[in-house]
Amino acid sequence: MSILDYHYGDSYVHKMDPRIKMILLVVLTIVVFMISNFYVLLGMFALVMLVWKTARLPLKNILRYMKFLLGLVAFLVTLQALFFSSGENPVILLHPIIPEAVPLIGGIGTIYLDGILFGLILGFRLLTLVSIMPVFVMTTTIGETALGLVKLGMNYKYAYMTTTALNLIPSLQDEAKIVMDAQKMRGFQVFETGKLMDKLKAYTTLAVPLVVGAMRRAQLMGVAMEARAFGVHKTRTYREVLHMRTIDIVSFVIVFLICVLMVVLNIMLGGWF
Amino acid sequence: MGTIIEAKEFSYTYPRRENQVLRNINFKVQEGEFIAIMGRNGAGKSTLSQALDGVIPHLHGGTVWGDIVVDGLNTQTASVADLAQKIGIVLEDPEAQLFTTRVDDEMAFGIENLCLPREEIIERITWATKVVRLEGYWDREPTALSGGQKQRCAIAATLAMKPKIMVLDEPTSQLDPIGTYEVFDVIRSLKEEYGMTILITTHKSEHIAEYADRVMVLENGQIEAFDTPQVIFRNAELLSHVAVRPPQVSSLAAYLNSYGQNIPRNEFPILLDEAEQMVRKLIGGK
Repeated sequence: MSILDYHYGDSYVHKMDPRIKMILLVVLTIVVFMISNFYVLLGMFALVMLVWKTARLPLKNILRYMKFLLGLVAFLVTLQALFFSSGENPVILLHPIIPEAVPLIGGIGTIYLDGILFGLILGFRLLTLVSIMPVFVMTTTIGETALGLVKLGMNYKYAYMTTTALNLIPSLQDEAKIVMDAQKMRGFQVFETGKLMDKLKAYTTLAVPLVVGAMRRAQLMGVAMEARAFGVHKTRTYREVLHMRTIDIVSFVIVFLICVLMVVLNIMLGGWF
Repeated sequence: MGTIIEAKEFSYTYPRRENQVLRNINFKVQEGEFIAIMGRNGAGKSTLSQALDGVIPHLHGGTVWGDIVVDGLNTQTASVADLAQKIGIVLEDPEAQLFTTRVDDEMAFGIENLCLPREEIIERITWATKVVRLEGYWDREPTALSGGQKQRCAIAATLAMKPKIMVLDEPTSQLDPIGTYEVFDVIRSLKEEYGMTILITTHKSEHIAEYADRVMVLENGQIEAFDTPQVIFRNAELLSHVAVRPPQVSSLAAYLNSYGQNIPRNEFPILLDEAEQMVRKLIGGK
């Protein structure tokens, strides 16, 4: 199951007003970018995981994606460890293999402790960020999202454009899997056993049917939407009604206050970079 | 009952193509009729069904000659959205025409665009759900339904807009026999209980023989024949010429004739009951 698909459930987060969820999504994302203290970031991460738990979403889904992202984090840490240069007096763990005096490549081989920490913060920020969006997508239907956007003042045509694009990602993922399985069944093994260059080339055999299929689908969907009078009037009506409940507002205030607290803590403890 | 659809010298060419996909199409459909459009692949069946609800030429472009008038609206000058309230279309691919994440959202989409008040939206989708027999499926995901259920959901989504005419373009070509039966059963009730005019393109001769009032046979973009199923399905020369398969029971009669029986052409059965009577007569009236 994709982390960008609606996940059926009746948890408290599922029932929350989509407008509140949208605003919280934006607030959380901004706060994660503002925080540069590692411990505070850890706190933010715990908060997001707590929301996952409240929404009764399977944690193993996001953990699988994180495992995939750990490679990227390791790459970030290595890069920063070797090439960190923004600090004034960085702590140096190992002296350079190539002396500083050599032009262009001088100084390579130095490992900066500050770089490692900076890389870790970047990586952790990334992991926190990728866990925020799925909570929204997995607990809000396309209809609710569109209606929420409209009630926040967006033109309904743009609202549907946005939600349709969101919906396209999981269907493309499914399609990609079908194409890859079909190729595998006919003995195409480059994705498992091939060399890197072969793998890169093999992606065209995957991309072409995906893109062609997506375009064909988009055209049919356009016909289907038009045939159901999409875009006749400047506004439209909605069957669903959004109810902003007291508990929604209370939880919004709580999460917002925690976010403020995090930012304050970040200032008090001092950002690391 | 008056004429509800009239095509006058209608021809059409797709953009950047030379040949006419439809040529000099002339026909009239009466209100409440069940019309089947048959013909080989590429004969122009889908093109004609898209021309009826204005998708051609409004969305696909191309060149049009002649007119199609649907319940007083000319498809060339009226907008697709205005036409949508007169004529509903259900497409072949069950996946591509369902684009929401809940069955009830899917059904409500069209009427929400028409700016109906909320109470009426709920009333109408409740009614449409009953017609297609999808009660209890409102909170399901359309993509997780069976093929037959998907097409019934698509029918309900169109039906909620209360069009007078329903055009179905190969609605059962991707379905198994059970799904096909479910869909045809719903289509029949649209005609019989709600008096809708039905136009359907399909290859399923058995179902057409049972339900259709008239069959339009297309060949190479032209109308080759337009008559009752009895006349069409008993005309073996016509059917082999246009590559339309007769119902299995008609083939049975032809097969028996090739083994020395002498069943007259105009008594060929097209329905299962008729075939039963024929066989009983052949084996001595038992």
